[in-house]
Amino acid sequence: MGLNINKIREDFDILKKKINNKPITYLDSACVSLKPRQVVEKINSYYNEFTACGGRSMHRFGNRVTDEVEKSRGVIKKFINSKKENEIIFTRNSTEGLNIVTKSLELKKGDKIIQTDKEHNSSLLPCLVLKENGVLHEIVKSNDDNTFNLENFENKMDKSVKLVSVVHTSNLDGVTNPVKEIIKIAHDHNALVLLDSAQSVPHKDIDVKNLDVDFMAFSGHKMLGSSGTGILYGKEHLLNGFKPFLIGGETVTDSTYNSYTLEKIPHRFEAGLQNYAGIMGLGEAAKYLMRIGKSNIEKHETNLNKRITEKLIDDVKIIGPEDSSLRGGVFNFNIEKTDPHELALMLDESENVMIRSGAHCVHSWYNAHNLDGSARATLYFYNTEEEVDRFVEAVKKVSKLLL
Amino acid sequence: MICLLALIVFGVLGIFSATHRIIAKEALDCVFRRVTLRKCTTGLDKRLKSQITGKLMRSHPKTAKTVYKNFEIISWFFTLVLIWSLIQSGISGYNYAIYGNCNGKTNGEEFCVFDPAGKGKFSTLASNYSGPVVFPDIDDDPSIGPKDAPVKIIEFGCFRCPYTKKAEETMKQVLDYYGEDILFVYRDFALSENHPHADVHAEAVNCALDQEKYWEFKNYMFETQTTMESHTVEGMKKLGEEFGLDTQKFNKCIDDRDYKEEVENDLIAGIKAGVYGTPTFFINNKTIVGPRDFKTFKKIIDEELEEWD
Ligand SMILES: Cc1ncc(COP(=O)(O)O)c(C=O)c1O
Repeated sequence: MGLNINKIREDFDILKKKINNKPITYLDSACVSLKPRQVVEKINSYYNEFTACGGRSMHRFGNRVTDEVEKSRGVIKKFINSKKENEIIFTRNSTEGLNIVTKSLELKKGDKIIQTDKEHNSSLLPCLVLKENGVLHEIVKSNDDNTFNLENFENKMDKSVKLVSVVHTSNLDGVTNPVKEIIKIAHDHNALVLLDSAQSVPHKDIDVKNLDVDFMAFSGHKMLGSSGTGILYGKEHLLNGFKPFLIGGETVTDSTYNSYTLEKIPHRFEAGLQNYAGIMGLGEAAKYLMRIGKSNIEKHETNLNKRITEKLIDDVKIIGPEDSSLRGGVFNFNIEKTDPHELALMLDESENVMIRSGAHCVHSWYNAHNLDGSARATLYFYNTEEEVDRFVEAVKKVSKLLL
Repeated sequence: MICLLALIVFGVLGIFSATHRIIAKEALDCVFRRVTLRKCTTGLDKRLKSQITGKLMRSHPKTAKTVYKNFEIISWFFTLVLIWSLIQSGISGYNYAIYGNCNGKTNGEEFCVFDPAGKGKFSTLASNYSGPVVFPDIDDDPSIGPKDAPVKIIEFGCFRCPYTKKAEETMKQVLDYYGEDILFVYRDFALSENHPHADVHAEAVNCALDQEKYWEFKNYMFETQTTMESHTVEGMKKLGEEFGLDTQKFNKCIDDRDYKEEVENDLIAGIKAGVYGTPTFFINNKTIVGPRDFKTFKKIIDEELEEWD
């Protein structure tokens, strides 16, 4: 069953917006996705109908909030098929989840972390700082077309590797790494795996049980949720061993002047008053995505990416494999002798086409490739062929001016 | 160069708004080449350049290309224009503060200004007066309010002067507000050398006094100021007729120049008092030059009333 895009677009009020009497073309969903009315309404209901503290106040509003938050947790559990609800921790974003895991593992001198050469700063930096404690850090070099090289990876594996922290789908080029195999190999070497799934969860069916992944972080705002929401998934027994580094209200069951008793997971990781409205919205977002089906989403994005690639392949230099089917919903490119920032600004200013430019927080990769940056269009299920064509035309027009 | 332009523009805007202040700071960094190349955003110069050309692309793709290619030269040009106009506004601001109008002492048609001491190089009239300053009195000019009012306001005005006209509104407000506390006298400062027929106008309005229509006709003069070019002797007669004056009496008064001396006296009194432009107001012994707002008048009048109490 395909997607009824026109019907779906009805849910996104922002898509009706016009600037200078022209429709907008939003192609920056990898950064932040647009939000459907259902999610916005859910968020508003917290503010309009039962604003309260969750998990502590016993009045009706308070109970309702606690209830809604736990319902959301239940939805997310189903969404990624985790074994238990307590394996779902609400965070502010992927970055927070990645930091929690990398820091809480308490890696020691001589322990090794393996990463890809395309990690987002949010995944790379928490590992880099551990080098100060003598933790070893190694990078698996990708193939020439930016796809993952399993052989290189396997060669890096040894006893000392304690953590494999890799990006699932790259925000740089849309390439999805063979994580099932990676996890298998890592586990064979008794290493844990942390997945940065910020770009995979919004677009692909993810089954953490099937993947057998140990930890997985992703963001709510990239999957229709409100800004500043995220999820950290972790296997129950592993999370139970973590000492939370952010503690206070809601993270303990009791305290004296000298001691405290930690809450059970996941609450011990959710310190202080939470973004209740955001969490509720995130549950609604997950429901929305399940309703339309991620396989449909993936197919739609791949089709659109193919369309762009075919039309622009002669005009631009694509980052990542040429084969569009390997790049999901990401079209990252450079036009020779033009500045990607200028291109992006002019696309926006002249045609209301919104894309991102720069190093997309994968600075390390750009530095290694002697590039300053690139322009990146990213797709989601609400984008249309018409929009894609508008983008293509605008790129051609602007690049003619710039050259 | 665009950075310098931006610095000036946003620097000024930044006085009022915090967002502009941030851009101004960025522009400052940009001017001094202190931009740290950030991978996730771009410098202000590129941003402005792209936005401007992008906007142009919508309507004028060809121009956009030219602008893009010659951006540096174009921004140089605009920077110079901006600096020049800023200097001009600075001078104007200074003039306004000192002389009460924006053109300074130079005598523009708009301002009815001339040099009081006769020393300035722009002086046109009265250059031969170098005697002591004499405060004007109410003379026998038409007045509003009781003769023994605590505050006496004497205005020197000119019927051709838009600024005198502008001050009319404020004077009305002042009179309404203070009522019996004020004696108001209007005296003519008719510089016919610079303002053709200024004397004719002044004399004619005085002629209306004979028919007890002085204030009404004065108002009418200002109302019809925009058509003043045609207000020659004949024009004035027509105006009187339009207004409904007894034309025979009125025309004779104009032709006989009944008020020639009166108008000249006013001018001389003005010159002796140091009037160099119209409108000039003497509020007891204080002066206001130019069409200032009600608040300015109120402040001085209140002070005078307090002193009198
Ligand atoms: C692959 C990847 N990892 C991590 C992040 C960081 O996500 P957040 O900013 O929500 O923490 C992003 C966001 O762009 C991403 O694309």
